[in-house]
Amino acid sequence: MRKNKGVLAATLALSMVLTACGSGEYVGDAADYPEQDLEWTIAFGPGGGNDIMARVLVDILQQENLYPHNIAVENRQGGSGAIGWGYLLSNSGDPYHASTTSGSFLTTPLQADTGWTYADFTLVGQLATDDSVFAVQSGNGIDSWREWTEFAKKQGTVTVGGIGTVNVDFIVHALLADQVGYEVDYVPFDEEGQLQTALTSGALQAITSNPAEIAGQIDAGRMTGLLFTGSEPLNRFPEIPTAESQGFTNMVSMPRGLILPPNVPPEIRDWWVRTMRKAVRDPRWQDYLDKNDLTRNEVWGEQFRKELGQTAERFQAILRKHGAI
Amino acid sequence: MELFGNLLDGIGGVVTPINLMLLASGVLLGMVVGVMPGLGPSAGLAILLPLTFGLDPTGAIVMLAAVYYGAMYGGTITSVLINTPGESATVASTFDGYPLARQGRAAPALVMAAIASFVAGTVGAILISVAAPPTAALAANFGPPELFLVVVLGLLTLIVVVGKNRLLGAVSVLLGFLLATVGIDIGGGEQRYTFGSTQLINGIDFIPVAIGLFGIGEILLTLYRGGHLERLRYFKVGARSRRFWPTRKDFGESRGAIARGSVLGFFVGATPGAGATVASLMSYSVEKSVSRTPEKFGKGAMPGLAGPEAANNAASSGAMVPLLTLGIPGSASTAVLLAAFLMWGLQPGPLLMDQEPELAWGLIGSMYLGNIMLVVLNIFCIPLFASMAKVPFRILGPIVIVLCTLGTFSVHGSIVEVGIMFACGVLGFVMRLYGLSPAALVIALVLGPLAEQTLRQSMIISGGSFDVFLSRPVSLVLLCVIPLIAMLPMISKLTRNRLARKRATESPTPTGRH
Repeated sequence: MRKNKGVLAATLALSMVLTACGSGEYVGDAADYPEQDLEWTIAFGPGGGNDIMARVLVDILQQENLYPHNIAVENRQGGSGAIGWGYLLSNSGDPYHASTTSGSFLTTPLQADTGWTYADFTLVGQLATDDSVFAVQSGNGIDSWREWTEFAKKQGTVTVGGIGTVNVDFIVHALLADQVGYEVDYVPFDEEGQLQTALTSGALQAITSNPAEIAGQIDAGRMTGLLFTGSEPLNRFPEIPTAESQGFTNMVSMPRGLILPPNVPPEIRDWWVRTMRKAVRDPRWQDYLDKNDLTRNEVWGEQFRKELGQTAERFQAILRKHGAI
Repeated sequence: MELFGNLLDGIGGVVTPINLMLLASGVLLGMVVGVMPGLGPSAGLAILLPLTFGLDPTGAIVMLAAVYYGAMYGGTITSVLINTPGESATVASTFDGYPLARQGRAAPALVMAAIASFVAGTVGAILISVAAPPTAALAANFGPPELFLVVVLGLLTLIVVVGKNRLLGAVSVLLGFLLATVGIDIGGGEQRYTFGSTQLINGIDFIPVAIGLFGIGEILLTLYRGGHLERLRYFKVGARSRRFWPTRKDFGESRGAIARGSVLGFFVGATPGAGATVASLMSYSVEKSVSRTPEKFGKGAMPGLAGPEAANNAASSGAMVPLLTLGIPGSASTAVLLAAFLMWGLQPGPLLMDQEPELAWGLIGSMYLGNIMLVVLNIFCIPLFASMAKVPFRILGPIVIVLCTLGTFSVHGSIVEVGIMFACGVLGFVMRLYGLSPAALVIALVLGPLAEQTLRQSMIISGGSFDVFLSRPVSLVLLCVIPLIAMLPMISKLTRNRLARKRATESPTPTGRH
């Protein structure tokens, strides 16, 4: 009896050691990759921006046979991405997992103890960036960025709004205000609808928003876009000047990219870089970018890691300076 | 008639055999999803949205509108039958719906709810046709101060929900506020009571709490009271039997409630934020206040179910107004619809109704048709649902527990939320045992964070001054309405007393009608 228990304990210990070895190390031959189905984690709920982007990509990868096996898409939402990317983290070393990133990939670790940062993952590349439109209500005598800066400087402090606090909206408002030389009272919202009615009701003087979400209001002449933070003007609204053209050289944007679990061999990461370079040439990808007003901006592998690091540091510095974290 | 031309065109445009089939299957699917505790219209839409990808936009819209209505009614079914609201807008339906079911009147209650929904849907479609532009203009004027006051209106209904039990009611509300503080604070980005858990950074969701408090709590209470040993009174329910239909008295009592609930629901529903929830709660408290028999409320009063059902249904029509005329989603469900618009390449915004009138009115038309389909289907389905009351508790109880667990898990796929649900089940049992109010807790949980957020936004905007509520016209009007609503129970009590006295003095002299 006692002997049996000993054997059992030894077996258990051995199997635990083996399991421990198993995780964190890919044992297959990278030259044969891919040999299995892929599990694609979406760290947000169905119907959201990240979800739609992921499904477009998976669709291209499957239909063009760029990934020769099945891809199973799974929404693991919660904790502003913490849950889904935490799941990816727990599959360290397994090259048959992937996920798409959005702004929360940088901001969530800044405000919560997620147990991971961008640096933990195997980073394939950035495919596009999310940029914002700075808008005011129409018909109040402010029709250009210059008129806004004059107005804001005269007021001294203006009331502006955006989504969330530890978020790109807050950072954009802070950057613009710092450089022009006015103060902001930033009002955080958690829904786009309430943010927009706050502007139309006159409670706010300006907001930042996604181009796609605000386009209808600009088309109808209810809101006026004064500035766009992307590097190139929007196709839809070429008349809105970019921040760069107005002298702002260091705007931030939200990177949208593809990541794998930590400790995936470099050869497999390179396989994904090659594959995604093909995928983004598909017309459906351009169509998706156009419809959602995303800026095409491809950055691969190590360069992606470097740029993410710089963006994360800037986010942190600005948020610290303004007391948001 | 020209006024309704658009609406009729919209309805006409979607009446094809295929669309009608989509409509019927959408309503059924929606109902099946909605019957799962925890899965309300917004979750139902999100889950079934991929089903519509293969359809043309009109077909997809028809199907989504049908799913929307089906899921909403599915939530009513669980509220009435197993005391478990599927979303915050149907909490008020449990107050009298469940007592009615316990009295063996589940079928009439469900029929009345379907009729109330149908009437409210009709009123909603008419109001969209005649009152969309002014309603949209009003909704565009709702900034944080106005939203705060609407939420306050909702919170005021707690006075009526809690009733005479003020101290225990206040404790329940505070418990709700306490749970509502968990998560990242929207104002400062600080974490509150998350204890470092990433699972809690978005706060405690309403759904696991409501399912636990109501569904599991009720089962524990039934066990405690020995309900599982009781022999059931068998009764037959079928569309032909008399007990299936509400009585003439039910209709008489509920007529006013449905009318008031429909109009109230439409306009409150048009405000972004907690429209349908606040509307259904306000309707309940209005009905209890104007009723001649307020003591029956909470014990199975038909108007107490019909009013909130009409209100939450009309609110879903009301929520279409800012979505279609402003491109602004006012509720979780309309946010999913907005995402669907984008997917079809439509640009939601103030121009949508002009640029895509067929689609916009098609949506309104299909919502109305969905309503009709719902009533028709339910005449066949209600006997089936109501016969659940015949299932002995030793079988029904475990099924409900499994459904509650599955429902909670399927919303976000989170096992932590299942744990929260069971913990709230025990909490709900203890609360009921000691006379606390689970309903007050969930209302506080839903409205508390909204009140906090909108008040803090208002205070940032005004620089900390309360003048912001007085200087904005819409908020000033709301501010004047609040004391009226708060005093409504008192006013109605006074008039009731006077009426009673009048009747007392008249009664010794019987009228000569024999």
